[in-house]
Amino acid sequence: MWENGGIKKGLAEILELPKDIILDLPKIIMIGNLQIYIENHKGILEYTDNRIRINTKNGTLRIIGKNLMLKNIVAEEIFIVGEINQVEFID
Amino acid sequence: MLVLRLWNYMRGYVIIRVQGLTLERFINICMARDIYLWDVKRIDNTTLETKISIEGFKDLKKIVRKIDCKVSIFEKHGYPFWIHRLKKRKMLLLGAFFCFLLLVFVSTFIFSIEIAGNENVEKAEIISKLNNLGFKPGANRCFINLRKLENQLLLEIDQLAWVGVEIKGIKAKVEVAEKILPPNKIDKDIPCNVVAQKNGVIEKVITKSGHAVVKEGDIVKKGDILISGIIQLEHIGNSIPVHSYGDVYAKTYYEAMGEKNLTEIKEKKTGQKFVKKILNLGNVELSFNRGKIPYEFYIVEKRSKKLLQWRKIGLPVELIIEEYYEVNKIEITVNEVEAKNHVHKEALDSILEEIPFEAEILNTQIDFTVKDGVLYGKVIIEALENIAVQKTLQIGED
Repeated sequence: MWENGGIKKGLAEILELPKDIILDLPKIIMIGNLQIYIENHKGILEYTDNRIRINTKNGTLRIIGKNLMLKNIVAEEIFIVGEINQVEFID
Repeated sequence: MLVLRLWNYMRGYVIIRVQGLTLERFINICMARDIYLWDVKRIDNTTLETKISIEGFKDLKKIVRKIDCKVSIFEKHGYPFWIHRLKKRKMLLLGAFFCFLLLVFVSTFIFSIEIAGNENVEKAEIISKLNNLGFKPGANRCFINLRKLENQLLLEIDQLAWVGVEIKGIKAKVEVAEKILPPNKIDKDIPCNVVAQKNGVIEKVITKSGHAVVKEGDIVKKGDILISGIIQLEHIGNSIPVHSYGDVYAKTYYEAMGEKNLTEIKEKKTGQKFVKKILNLGNVELSFNRGKIPYEFYIVEKRSKKLLQWRKIGLPVELIIEEYYEVNKIEITVNEVEAKNHVHKEALDSILEEIPFEAEILNTQIDFTVKDGVLYGKVIIEALENIAVQKTLQIGED
């Protein structure tokens, strides 16, 4: 309960602060299955046409789809377009 | 994202292909060093294609050494490359500049002259006068004083009341207005005849001077002498010319025809509609819908929308919407009385302009005939008017 993440989580809940900032978690926005927008990532682990793995604070984010393309990529955010089939967190 | 793309174009970017086994590492290092990559595409297992700005590409050299990658430029895009290419070909730029100058210079010459507003004065006459004044196709407009030219042309041609010369681009437009000349009065001491202005049957001859050669009941044609200006003096055996004048009243006849179909074809909309959109750019018409109008009979309604119109000034962009309504043709038999009225009115309208204001209308008559389903009406108007007009006597003619 009083470990590192727990205090922050509790604080964020009490003060109603956005959790992506307090907990350093990724913020993921999807538009249909066409676009996915990931803020606050920790780098790319794998990038191919049909699979992208992105490192984040709480594990690896795996995106599976077709014709995936990195439309935009900077230190804070990644913008992926293509036909997205699966988005999952794997430890 | 058009703005972004335009921005990238202005700054210039290259499409590069990166070959290596650790391409993810390449992307991560680029991110860490703030090198902006976009439109990253995986070509195959060992190749990556991405767009990168020129500055970013320069920074890339250090990274490439660090990781085992091969970077090659695939395409160059943007304004800086374009400029760079132009710098190598200075003569092309110079040529374009001189071409533009030449175009500006050539457009100061007058190419064609258009004349409007003349009715009695011949166009050729105006043009030849203008040519004499130095205003002709091939003349440079910088050397022509338009106001002076207008005045000179007014002096050259008497019949003109006003001249306006306007140059639009390479086209000159000369607008003229003609004087309405008063009827030429013949001076009292100039011998003259009185002749007929129109065909007619003489009713009354009032001779004030001269020798009447026609009497009541005579049929005269246009141009016939009514009162002669030559008086024969029997006891001298000589003839003397005089200034003859007088009034000659004659019955004149005016005729006009009118016609109307007794069966009229009316068009009735069926409710079917076909819309055609045309974009008008200056003089260029772009039609959006290709293909023929699918109806045999139709009515067209045109509407046009103009962009940014302020008074008469606006962009030369216009959207014309043409709506084609399908119609059926229905034959309708016209009421005969109505048709007759219509024909009568039509014939009268065309005739009344010819009859002078002073003429007294004695009789009107209308005959109707029906032929092949068409009603023809013939209107004859009998009028009494003065047909005398003076004409100078040419001495030595007779």
